[in-house]
Amino acid sequence: MATSITRTFGSLRIVAHRSLKNAELALDVRHPGPLFLPVRTKKRYFIPPAVSLKGKKEENLEAKARAAGIVFRQQYLERSINISCSAGVFDPYIPPEGDARLSTLSKEGLKQRTEQIRQSAASQLAIRKIKEYDSQFSTKTFAEQAQEIFVEAHNSLTHFNKEKLHSLVTERCYPEMTRGNRYKTIRWRFVESLEPPRVVHVRCPDMVTKGNLYGQVTVRMHSKQTLAIYDRFGRLMLGSEEQPKDVLEYLVIERHLVNPYSRWRLHGKIVPSWAPPKDPIIKTVAIPGPDLKPGEEFDALNYEVPKPEAVQWNK
Amino acid sequence: MLKLQVLGGASQQLSCLHTSISLDAKHWERNNRKVYPPQLPEEPRRPAEVYHSRRQIKYSKDKMWYLAKMIRGMSIDEAIAQLEFNDKKGAKIMREVLLEAQEMAVKNHNVEYKSNLYVAESFSGKGQYLKRIRYHGRGMFGIMDKVYCHYFVKLVEGVPPKPEKRTGFDQAKEYVQGLKNRTIIHSL
Repeated sequence: MATSITRTFGSLRIVAHRSLKNAELALDVRHPGPLFLPVRTKKRYFIPPAVSLKGKKEENLEAKARAAGIVFRQQYLERSINISCSAGVFDPYIPPEGDARLSTLSKEGLKQRTEQIRQSAASQLAIRKIKEYDSQFSTKTFAEQAQEIFVEAHNSLTHFNKEKLHSLVTERCYPEMTRGNRYKTIRWRFVESLEPPRVVHVRCPDMVTKGNLYGQVTVRMHSKQTLAIYDRFGRLMLGSEEQPKDVLEYLVIERHLVNPYSRWRLHGKIVPSWAPPKDPIIKTVAIPGPDLKPGEEFDALNYEVPKPEAVQWNK
Repeated sequence: MLKLQVLGGASQQLSCLHTSISLDAKHWERNNRKVYPPQLPEEPRRPAEVYHSRRQIKYSKDKMWYLAKMIRGMSIDEAIAQLEFNDKKGAKIMREVLLEAQEMAVKNHNVEYKSNLYVAESFSGKGQYLKRIRYHGRGMFGIMDKVYCHYFVKLVEGVPPKPEKRTGFDQAKEYVQGLKNRTIIHSL
């Protein structure tokens, strides 16, 4: 092999020694050969194609790949939208302050009790619209149905039953429920319901076109639940399995009314501004400090941790 | 993929199915997806493990090995400090990898204190090489490899384990004990 190469290169030797200098060898630069070269013999050695290419020609590469038979899939620069659920909670229900704090027997409690759906005409209109599409809809039975949906959805979340969860929960709510939970173990139990669930707010927004109706019903639920979240290694991160907590929740259930095959699914939760703060997690977290200019010092004693403002938000 | 983590007794046969979320995740990174069942309260707390790697680093795997061997068993702060003041090219890249792994541990893997980690495993592997021609005299040539390496590191939560020190006296004691244990077999 070596001798054949020397014979091939024999005539080129003098040429090669003259033209290639040390610096050019290191830099991998090749000048075009002189014009008085004899006829070449058969090429028996291999040079990888990257070396002989001088400059990169982008358009040639694509044509060569296509000629070689490599097929590139068409790139769709689109963003998909979901029409089976709406994007958020429209005209959210503002829960009255001190909702679950006052007892039902006091005067304030009675006043709140009497503030039922009759309070708002818009809700009545919306119920009438829903009854057009779904004749079996009634506020009394719907509240229990909503609670069942809620319990089923959380049970399938603990067992990571994706298909069932998709049928019980809308596409907007699904990522919120499952974000960050992929490598965690969740143990949730519905102990009992302290008060019967009530429908408090109904709205029927229409998206894009006028006839495209979505029904959103807000249900108020007061119940006892236990929640324990374990991280990837089986250590307890949040909550406890034995200690049940009283939870007052405002669930938003949605259905695409125009679609005859649609179902009532959990769409989100409303967290009122006066909600009690959640339990802290069982670990210390570093809060990022203030941005200091060069030369300033950080005053640890007088620094107050900024608290988030109390606003109502939908989950 | 979520079927892998189902806890219910009925679906345990599904948990051994091989399912992959993404095709480009290699073996070392897949260790980060292992989920352990919840621990009972009387069991000792399982230490968190974080696996991280960087692929196709433009450095030799043999030269990288020296640095990897240096930081084996060190606590993460010590390892980062040593690499910061090391003159090798691989030290800078290794330091970035360790910092990335530390941040990942705190953010995604529920590690409480970022300094409470130590380097349990650290090694380098061969990456995919590019081949070039190296011109010699007399028309001879050699195939030059442009070397690349991978670097793998595993951080575990806790205090770094102390290596057992065996002094000469201990070794001498063991030798004498071996001599004393000699006995004649099949004797009366």
